[in-house]
Amino acid sequence: MRAILILLGLCCFPIFSKGQSQTFFSGVFPEVSLTKKLSNENRINFKIENQEILFDNRMGDVESIQFTHYRTDLMAFHDWRLNSTKSMAIGVFYRFQDGADAKRIIQQYALIQRLRNLRLSHRFRTDQTFAKQEKIEVRFRYRLALEIPLNGMTLDPGEHYFVISNEPIFNLQNREFELENRFVFGLGKLYSKGQKLEWSIDYRTDGFIQNDLRTRLWLKIGYFQSF
Amino acid sequence: MRILNILRFGFSFIVLFMLVSIVGFAQDKVEKEERIREKEVPRIAQEWLYDAFEKVKRPKWYKEFSDSGYSFEAKFQYDDHFHSVEFDSLGNILDVEIEMDWSELKQEVRSSIGNYFGEKYKVHKLIKIQIQYSGEEEDLEDFFDEDENEGILIQYEIEFSGIDLTGDSRIWEGTFDSRGNFLSLRIIRVLEMANVIF
Repeated sequence: MRAILILLGLCCFPIFSKGQSQTFFSGVFPEVSLTKKLSNENRINFKIENQEILFDNRMGDVESIQFTHYRTDLMAFHDWRLNSTKSMAIGVFYRFQDGADAKRIIQQYALIQRLRNLRLSHRFRTDQTFAKQEKIEVRFRYRLALEIPLNGMTLDPGEHYFVISNEPIFNLQNREFELENRFVFGLGKLYSKGQKLEWSIDYRTDGFIQNDLRTRLWLKIGYFQSF
Repeated sequence: MRILNILRFGFSFIVLFMLVSIVGFAQDKVEKEERIREKEVPRIAQEWLYDAFEKVKRPKWYKEFSDSGYSFEAKFQYDDHFHSVEFDSLGNILDVEIEMDWSELKQEVRSSIGNYFGEKYKVHKLIKIQIQYSGEEEDLEDFFDEDENEGILIQYEIEFSGIDLTGDSRIWEGTFDSRGNFLSLRIIRVLEMANVIF
C-alpha cells in the first residue's frame, strides 16, 4: 500500500510543480464508452468525448462565462487479450475542433493488478496526431488508475467506488518537447456487470516547458457499457 | 478572485451531483459483500473470534450475500498473516482461511502441488495461497487455542495465473487436500475495467 501511495505521489508531482496558471478554462466533459467483447475474448471499443467550455479566462471579462463547444473526439479501439489481466490495443481517433480538426492513431498496452481491496490499472500509450498545417505530434503516456470499492473489498453490482488516476504525457512536436499531466478524481457506480457511471473532476495541466502554463478543469460525466 | 469564485461554483455543483448520485441510486438490492460494524455481527461469532484469536485487534467485518442467504466474515492481520474467518448467518463458525507463502507449505504439499502445476500448465504464477481450516466449533477453537488438530479438515486454496496445455491463459483457483492432492478448479473472472483501459 505504501509503495502505491509513493508511486501515486510521484505521478502527481507535475500537478503541483508550478505556481499560478496563465491560461485557465473549465467546463463539462460528457463521455460515452461502449465495449463489445468478441467470442475470442478480444474487445472492440467505441468512445465519444465532448468538451463544452463554461469559463475561459482568455476571453476577457465580458465573455468569460459562456457555453462554447471546444472539441468532440470520436475513437475506436481493437483490443487483443494477452491474458486475464493484460491486453494490447490499437485505435483510431478523429477530433472535431473549430479550425483544428485532427486525426490520431493510438497504440497501447494495459495491465490490471488485483490487490486485496482495490484494483490498479497501468496503461502505456503512444499516439501520433496529424492535423492540417501542423507537424506530426508524437506522445508517450502512462496512466495509473485506482478503483477503490466503497463497500466491501470487491466491487459488486449496485455499489459505488472511487476512481483516481494520474497520467503524465510526454509530447514531441516540431523538435520541441512538452509535458502535460491529467489528474482525475471521481465517484462511480457499478450498476450491473459492465455498466458503470462516473462523476469526476478532470484536472489537466500543460505548457510546462515550451508555452505558458495552461490548466483545464472539467466536470466529467462518463457512461461505460460493456457487453 | 474570479477564478476562485468559479471554482467554488463548480465544486458546489460537483458535490451536488455526487449527492444526487449516491441518494438516487442507493436502493438497489443485489448479491454482494458489504462492510458492517462489529455490533451487527451475532454475539457468538464475536465471542468465538476473540476466544480463538486473543490478540486480534479491530477485525474488519463483512456481510456476504448469496443466493442461499448470507454469512459473516472477519478479516484481519494476525501473526503477520492475513486471516479470513467465516461464520454462518447465526454466527456459527464455518472456516478459517490464512494467507501464507509458498515456502511455508510442508515439503510434501509443495511437491504434490508443484507436480500438478508441472503436469497441467505450460507456465504458471502463484498469486495467493490460503490454508483453510474447517470443522466443528469446539475443534476449531481447540486448534487455534491449543494447537490440537483433531477433527480439523485442512485444504489449500491457491489462486494462480497460467497457461494450460490447450493454450488457455487465465486466472484460476485450485483446491488441494491436506497432502497437496488436487481436488477442484474454478476460473477467477476479472471484472471488466474498460473505464480505465480505454
